[in-house]
Amino acid sequence: MLPPFSYVRAQSLDEALAQLGASDTRISAGGSDLLGCLRDEVFTCSKVVSLSRLDALRGIRDDGRGGVRIGALTTIAAVASDPVINQRYPVLAQAARAVASPQLRHQGTLGGNLCQKPRCWYYRGEFHCSRKGGSTCYALAGENQFHCILGGQGCYIVHPSDTAPALVALDATVQIAGRGGTRRVPMARFHVSPRDDIRRETVLEAGEIVTAIDIPAAPRGLRSSYRKVRARGAWDFALAGVALALQFDGATVRAGRVVLSGAAPIPWRSEAVERVIIGQALTPEVAARAGDAAVEGAQPLKRNGYKVPLFRGVVREALLALAQ
Amino acid sequence: MKEHPDAQYYIRGIELPETEVSTDLEPWGETRVVGKPLPRVDGYERVSGTAVYPADLTLPGMLYGAILRCPHPHAMVTAVDVRRAAAMPGVRAALTAFTPLDRATRPHADMIRTQLFDPHCRFQGEAVAAVAAETAYQARDALRAIQVQYEERPFLADERKALEPGAPQVRDSGNQAGETQVYQRGDVARGFAEADVVLDQEYRNECEIHTPMELHGCVARWDGDRLTLWESTQGVYNVQMQVAATLGMPFSLVRVVGHYMGGGFGSKLQTSKYSVVAALLAKTTARPVKLVLTREETLLAVGNRPASNMRLKAGVKRDGTITAMQFWGSGASGSEPAGGVSLLDWPVRDTYTCANVRTELTDLLINAGPARPFRAPGHPQGAWALEQMMDALAEAIGMDPVALRVRNVPTVSQARGNVPYTSTGLRQCLEQGAAAFGWDAVRAEIARQGNRGTVKRGVGVAAGLWVAGGGGPPSTAVVKIFADGSVNLNMGASDIGTGTKTVMAMVVAEELGVAPDAVEIEHADTGSTQFATGSGGSKTVPTESPAVRAAAVDVKRQLLELAAEELKVEVSTLTLRDGKVVSTQDPAVTRSLTELQGLRRRRSLTGVGYRGPNPANKAVTPFAAQFCEVEVDTASGEVRVVRFVAAHDSGRVMNQLTYQNQVFGGITMGIGFGLTEERVLDVDQTGKMANLNWHDYKLPTMLDVPADMTCVPIDPKDTECNATGAKGIGEPATIPTAAAIGNAIYHATGVRVTHTPVDPLRLVAALAERGEG
Ligand SMILES: Cc1cc2nc3c(=O)[nH]c(=O)nc-3n(C[C@H](O)[C@H](O)[C@H](O)COP(=O)(O)OP(=O)(O)OC[C@H]3O[C@@H](n4cnc5c(N)ncnc54)[C@H](O)[C@@H]3O)c2cc1C
Repeated sequence: MLPPFSYVRAQSLDEALAQLGASDTRISAGGSDLLGCLRDEVFTCSKVVSLSRLDALRGIRDDGRGGVRIGALTTIAAVASDPVINQRYPVLAQAARAVASPQLRHQGTLGGNLCQKPRCWYYRGEFHCSRKGGSTCYALAGENQFHCILGGQGCYIVHPSDTAPALVALDATVQIAGRGGTRRVPMARFHVSPRDDIRRETVLEAGEIVTAIDIPAAPRGLRSSYRKVRARGAWDFALAGVALALQFDGATVRAGRVVLSGAAPIPWRSEAVERVIIGQALTPEVAARAGDAAVEGAQPLKRNGYKVPLFRGVVREALLALAQ
Repeated sequence: MKEHPDAQYYIRGIELPETEVSTDLEPWGETRVVGKPLPRVDGYERVSGTAVYPADLTLPGMLYGAILRCPHPHAMVTAVDVRRAAAMPGVRAALTAFTPLDRATRPHADMIRTQLFDPHCRFQGEAVAAVAAETAYQARDALRAIQVQYEERPFLADERKALEPGAPQVRDSGNQAGETQVYQRGDVARGFAEADVVLDQEYRNECEIHTPMELHGCVARWDGDRLTLWESTQGVYNVQMQVAATLGMPFSLVRVVGHYMGGGFGSKLQTSKYSVVAALLAKTTARPVKLVLTREETLLAVGNRPASNMRLKAGVKRDGTITAMQFWGSGASGSEPAGGVSLLDWPVRDTYTCANVRTELTDLLINAGPARPFRAPGHPQGAWALEQMMDALAEAIGMDPVALRVRNVPTVSQARGNVPYTSTGLRQCLEQGAAAFGWDAVRAEIARQGNRGTVKRGVGVAAGLWVAGGGGPPSTAVVKIFADGSVNLNMGASDIGTGTKTVMAMVVAEELGVAPDAVEIEHADTGSTQFATGSGGSKTVPTESPAVRAAAVDVKRQLLELAAEELKVEVSTLTLRDGKVVSTQDPAVTRSLTELQGLRRRRSLTGVGYRGPNPANKAVTPFAAQFCEVEVDTASGEVRVVRFVAAHDSGRVMNQLTYQNQVFGGITMGIGFGLTEERVLDVDQTGKMANLNWHDYKLPTMLDVPADMTCVPIDPKDTECNATGAKGIGEPATIPTAAAIGNAIYHATGVRVTHTPVDPLRLVAALAERGEG
């Protein structure tokens, strides 16, 4: 059941920021994640500030320098179907299309998608786990088939977002407004590892709002893709995913980023894979080595050992597909 | 003929009334209405939202009930304090184990076995207390204010550990429900000795939950001493008897109405505690009470298809003779004996010719919600083992899997002492299904192309039969025809979304020559209809349609007799067509019903029909064979089901659309059972359900079900089974599905995953073990 809370629909960004001043206040964009958390008593709050009237934060615009700015309130569906995104940044369009279900893509926003709470069933369920202030991570010794194989410590969630790895791969930047002004944080540093702070998922401070995501111009020779494996055809988070944004020079990979989803508590940039492929043509042999590199140092838990061969296979196949 | 005691699970705990028997009717020849693809008679109501389901009902002064449930898998409730909750705004009643009303209820031997709020909670989700309040929100808030002291006990969550020394005890009597059941015919040792190949394999299915779209729930209202329950149920009479027994009331004072319901799949055959709770809350407050469970409650407390562990050892000769089968099965009833291995061995016992069979079933207890019958109890699991074994045997002797099955089609029910089936369409299912699928051609094509890339293609077949599905007495139907020619059908049976009303209207229309949607139906109301068994066991059509037909024939006879008198012709020359009495011999002789003086004087005629017994010493059994094609991505373990062909012998097709609906729905559910669905308990730590929501408990979505599904009905023209020639279709449709997919995955990859659901987690692990991926 939802806890009792007051509800404010801010008319401007300034009003929203002012309303957020009070403690124990939550932002609602599409509400598709927030309401679920409140209903399942993952946390409570006394006030919800809705951003849904802030049309200035909606839409996809050319930034004049070859890149785009996506307002935080732009729906996932709008991102998925935008012609410019599809043409310049297929990885993001594909990732957006792989999110949840049509209804959720029309309700959920890009900002909300980046800020959504973990989907660990202990965190979401009636378990007082360490991320909620308790002293146990139930996943460590429990039903951890959907948990991380990389980057866990004290908490073994995987980051649930599909769009985040795509945006990390594209070297995007998050635009943040607070009462003290605005700041910009690279996507690669936006999410917080449990190694640094087990109680938070992003660098956002209380009262801050994500206003936009900036994606730089696509470099020459950029090819990108998002591949997601899930346990059913739709409405399901990634068991394993890989976002690729690689610059090719002919058949050779010149530069680029490889980011895994479903692997770690944050979108997981795999420099190990990048090291294998940069300077190389993506032959089956290189792709296989890259697959192996993806799971270098992986520490599977009792029930998620399958993710090791899964990532190996998925990274290899995604690279080969992009090379075609 | 000895029937399996579990075969009639849908009437467990029900004392059946004896009825009269209608005279036998000749089988239909050519039909004019029955068999046509007609839309639902209540389609408009259902899609427009005007159909009133129990959760839609709002009565004046109605309160909302809610149940507090034990959060632990095993605990003693030592104290419940409702004072704070009872004082909250809008709260009108609070019941616990310690309130006198609960003490007044009597456990029902078959359904509600314990005290209503049993302080000894043996599963997460057991009812601990209940409240009624002015709004649903106030009721939920009140639940949170109830303070319960639990004394947690050690729990058992994995039935595979139930019999280990030192395992926590679910009940004082131990962790096994009843004795191990043994069935035997012939001599398996001798059979194995005769075999050229003997294979031995273990299989496991995870626990599956019904999750019907419509939540379980009811509205209870008292008028003086009389209780009315609007209930989402598969059988209003089941609920009436069990609620009356639990509350110590005469049947005549308990009325149960179940007009619309949104799916049950077996989980709504029996009465649940919540109905009694609603009745008690309504009684204490003297107000109507609506009590609808949450999705989470339904995942915990109103049944499941239990996990099953199976081992099958089978021997075959090179010529395809199956010489012996030995089967061991265990499963978990949950916290009380509830059919944890119900019918699990029936496919092995009865599907194929085999002289030497031995099966052993062990039902175990765990600290989790009790099982309930689930669409073909035991059969999809048993078929998962048997049908994959048949494939492995075929491969081992170099025989085509369809050919091996055809070679072993039985003509008698071996498990019932060799009584013949009234019809055996299994061979046609296999042969015509294979032809429709293009079995030989596609297998040859895959063999020719080889399966080189990472995405591999495979096809699979599985067959099945269903232990029930023949129906039987009792059923009493009443058909009335009014002076204006309009028609009314009155029957006790529920339409659980399968189209029962539509099919019965078509039966009436067939006999009375009116349009099916001109037949007004009253049904599923213990206050105004005759007794009917619950709609389950795929027996609703074969049980009800002969009674409905007999009632229509009875009223027709009366009508034609009146008409013959008025028209001064032989009654045998008359029949009904398009709302008129017509002569089969003289086109000039015709009279519309409204002009019949005799009918006008009487205002209406009433016909009554009864379901007679099934033929003696025969088994009425539906058969099936399903074929599918899959694509398996060996890098990711993703399985795409490309197409399905389902050939079914369920006797006469009463309505092509409702028949197809059952087949496609059965395949869909079988895909969930085989590929996606699994209850996950936190076995190593808390014993609580981990995937306690409709997102982590993964039903298949539209994208998991192939657009390309073909239904191939096989009608053996069964004139013996009953007066309409129909056998059940609802359950057979889901029996072979998962096994067919399992066989196709094996065909594609060479890897046999014997543990459902075969999701990427299991498949990738299995492929990696073999060095792929
Ligand atoms: C059943 C289900 C399946 C799903 N499957 C997937 C999936 O497969 N892949 C995937 O990526 N996602 C998935 N999701 C998540 C879904 O995409 C998110 O719920 C959605 O994107 C969130 O957007 P929203 O606008 O509704 O966020 P809200 O619910 O409004 O907010 C989410 C969180 O972010 C905060 N927030 C929102 N906007 C801002 C902002 N501008 N600045 C600061 N904080 C903000 C809120 O306070 C809240 O904590 C699924 C969700 C559900 C319910």
